[in-house]
Amino acid sequence: MSSRTRRSLALFTLMLGAASGYARGEVYQEPDTFIAEVFGSKPAPKVLWLTKDTQAQVGAILGHAPAQLRQRYWSEGGKSVWILEETGKEELITAGFVVVDGRIDHVRVLVYRESRGQEVRQSSFLKQFKDAKLVRDNRLDRDVDGIVGATLSVGAMERMARLALFFERLSHDNPAG
Amino acid sequence: MSPKLLLLLFLRRWHARIGFAAVVFFLFLAVTGFVLNHTADLGLNTKYVHAAWLARWYGLMPELPRQAFRSGGHDLIAANGRWLLDGRISGEKLPQPVGLVDLPGMVVVASSTSLYIYGKDGALIDRLESNALPEVPVQAIGAGAQRLVLRTASGLFESSDALSWKPSPRGATAWSAPAELSPAEREKYAGLLDAGISVQQLLLDLHSGRFAGRYGPLAVDLLAVLLTVLSLSGAWLFLKPRHRRWERH
Repeated sequence: MSSRTRRSLALFTLMLGAASGYARGEVYQEPDTFIAEVFGSKPAPKVLWLTKDTQAQVGAILGHAPAQLRQRYWSEGGKSVWILEETGKEELITAGFVVVDGRIDHVRVLVYRESRGQEVRQSSFLKQFKDAKLVRDNRLDRDVDGIVGATLSVGAMERMARLALFFERLSHDNPAG
Repeated sequence: MSPKLLLLLFLRRWHARIGFAAVVFFLFLAVTGFVLNHTADLGLNTKYVHAAWLARWYGLMPELPRQAFRSGGHDLIAANGRWLLDGRISGEKLPQPVGLVDLPGMVVVASSTSLYIYGKDGALIDRLESNALPEVPVQAIGAGAQRLVLRTASGLFESSDALSWKPSPRGATAWSAPAELSPAEREKYAGLLDAGISVQQLLLDLHSGRFAGRYGPLAVDLLAVLLTVLSLSGAWLFLKPRHRRWERH
């Protein structure tokens, strides 16, 4: 391969990297701002430790092992906020879930890093999660309608919604501070 | 022999020849296309290929590991967005570390904008981004009185759990500092920390022909033309005898 061709390929690779870097900067709302918006101000974080058993259950929800063993969350007055991350196609999507009494109150996509599929941030899609709760096998009590061209991002959002509800239930069983 | 029959024979012959000549390429395109459509299902969307020759082929200049951070029996060497923590690769696209600190129950690696908290067994416990830190950029990390200490532009902050932070008094803090690697160590770690190309990108470049360089996409374009010719000639060969039979009736 000639040096010129190699430079072109490297440039293309760097452009892809830069594109993903740019996408990394596609912050719709800072997680801190989201938390403060929910509670009025940002309360101190609490943590949920994932035991071996919990890790297995999280693995069943996500389809892969959890990325980390300590989950931070914020709660006050029966309301909890979970900032979760999950891979859509290739990059992580960061979303904030507000859970009240075992049901999702509202969801927001905070950071979207994929090059396609941003439609999952639209309220017309996110409102499907309103009042969703977990049923048997940690599944949602409803089917979430997909978006053409954003199938993997939709799947990631659904998995995160299940995880937020699962974590919320767990936080009641194992209150932490 | 009638001109129509000649044309039919000519098409049949060339349809077979083109099909045979292109079979390997078409299979290649079909396989890469199929895998590209199912990268997430196949778990390939987060996988990387690490090979020095591939990085060279892509024209990427590999970064050689030059320094190591060491603390309490743990060590960290970083290069090409990869970390080797206690001899174990920690992930991809990781930031440049600024320090490593061994604390009771955890090992903390800091970059300028994030903290990675590992258990003693190397499992990732938590990743704290800038919004969970008292201030960024983090200039250095250290340990003082079994607490994690961060040095930032506006002062020192300390925490015992990497959750809540408070200003730290200027006291005895052991700051993490890099140690130069010997040439033999650089050589040893360079092979383990090769630059990676994502499988997704590699498949895309193979499928589009871009992997072969400047003329690769043109070759794929040519295959597309051949496929068009095959489709049209195949359709002609299929329809013509039927059309003739219909005309006779």
